[in-house]
Amino acid sequence: MSDERSAFDRKVRAAQWGVAALAVVFIGGIVTWIAHLIRTAWRLGDVPSASIGISLVAIPVFLVLLGVIVSVFWGLLRDGGNR
Amino acid sequence: MAVSDPTVERDAALFAPIERTGWGFYLTVGVLGLAVLWGAAAYWTQFDQGLGVTGLHQPVSWGFYVTNFVFFIGISHAGTLISAILRLSKAEWRRPITRMAEVITVMVLFIGAGQILVDLGRPDRLLNVIRYGRYQSPLLWDATSISAYLTASTFYLYLPLIPDLAILRDRLGKRRFLYAVLAMGWTGTERQHKILNRAIATMAVLVIPIAVSVHTVVSFVFSMTIQPGWHSTIFGPYFVVGAIFSGIAAIIVAMAIIRRIYHFEAYLKPIHFRYLGQLLLVMTLLWFYFTFAEYLTAYYGNEPEEMKIFWAKFTGRFWPIFWAMLVLNVVVPIACLVRLRHHAIGKTVVASVAVVIGMWLERLNIIVPTLSNPRLPFPEGQYWPTWVEWGETAGSLGLFILLYVLFVKLFPIISIWEIKEGREVGLKEVEERLRTYLPDETEPEPARDRAKVLT
Repeated sequence: MSDERSAFDRKVRAAQWGVAALAVVFIGGIVTWIAHLIRTAWRLGDVPSASIGISLVAIPVFLVLLGVIVSVFWGLLRDGGNR
Repeated sequence: MAVSDPTVERDAALFAPIERTGWGFYLTVGVLGLAVLWGAAAYWTQFDQGLGVTGLHQPVSWGFYVTNFVFFIGISHAGTLISAILRLSKAEWRRPITRMAEVITVMVLFIGAGQILVDLGRPDRLLNVIRYGRYQSPLLWDATSISAYLTASTFYLYLPLIPDLAILRDRLGKRRFLYAVLAMGWTGTERQHKILNRAIATMAVLVIPIAVSVHTVVSFVFSMTIQPGWHSTIFGPYFVVGAIFSGIAAIIVAMAIIRRIYHFEAYLKPIHFRYLGQLLLVMTLLWFYFTFAEYLTAYYGNEPEEMKIFWAKFTGRFWPIFWAMLVLNVVVPIACLVRLRHHAIGKTVVASVAVVIGMWLERLNIIVPTLSNPRLPFPEGQYWPTWVEWGETAGSLGLFILLYVLFVKLFPIISIWEIKEGREVGLKEVEERLRTYLPDETEPEPARDRAKVLT
């Protein structure tokens, strides 16, 4: 019974870290995409100032979101580890 | 919060939609499923045969799809923005309504953003935006701000859901894996409460400027052009006001339906409808003020291109849409909301349904008349949507309601732990706060026992 319980807990734990990783990859992907657009604009000389100007606002917003999410997941998962 | 706390039993009614499944649920899902199927058939026809099967053509290249896009993104301001403002201003009456508002936001954002894909005709070309998108275009500003809003809103919905997920994990036998995973090991310790409360507060602050930016940027898609009727400096705030206006109306409609179906009369009281009704009345007047300013400026300028559109709306072929919009957005809400002492629920619901329809007409009224009377030397255009656009619109609306119904089936639509917190901590806090408003009282100590009481 306790083996079954610990197997269930292990699966839950793995899935929780999976959800946390997915969130990080999703937001990280958006930041990478914006960075790619700046690089493309820069490479083509296609008014890179516009891309950089907008990214100066957009990227920090996503990074703050990422920070909040990581701190919540990390804090809760570490604290609830004994459950 | 102790997840096996017997005081949670006091709110057992809130588990009923999750624990019991009646025939009404299956019937609703079936009907909504049919609407979604109609939408899917319409989209498949368009995908297979091209945009020629729709009423879209030159010069009217934006019709129902872009109207739906602006409308749904506007409705999304219901949730997170209203919920965040009420949370930050410590409005205690928010507790039963914040989650149903936040769910609206997340669901309609998906549907709203999807309208652009539908409007593309060739959805594969979205890859070009990802690979070679140019930040000179307001369309890409839209994509960026909607991505930020969708991410922020999803987490803003999820974070306050965590303690309730832990309750479900410990209480229900079914879907235990799902609830256990999403509860993120929540046990209700003081430290976990501190982490969660700090994150919710941060998100509440962050989500307000993001929400304002989203609809401002949506308005830029129109106002950055020099099309008559669109090129206006007040379009940003006008769109934001319209979005909050339609958002509040959508929350009221959702509240009334949920209250009626799940018998949440003890939680969603006439006072909640009265407060939201008063907010809706304020937004009615604000929306009318912006509309008046917008049209008066155009009329006084008397520029021929502008006047063509002005008269097309007032007395020309778009007059039914324009006047229906004004009646539904101004006359009906004012008539219903000025006196809310009696029949508050019925009156706010009638006003809200009128506003939701009126705001959809407003979006149509902004888009189609301008495109039908182009500044360039094209002949005047006509726009008659075909069954494809009607089907896609019905499918989108059906999908939104279906997702909402499924959410209510899986998760508590009224925050259980926040109701409990209201009883145990909120009452004391409000009393302390009230005392500080009075003369000769000092600021109270912060509610240090908040986590202790809940644990």
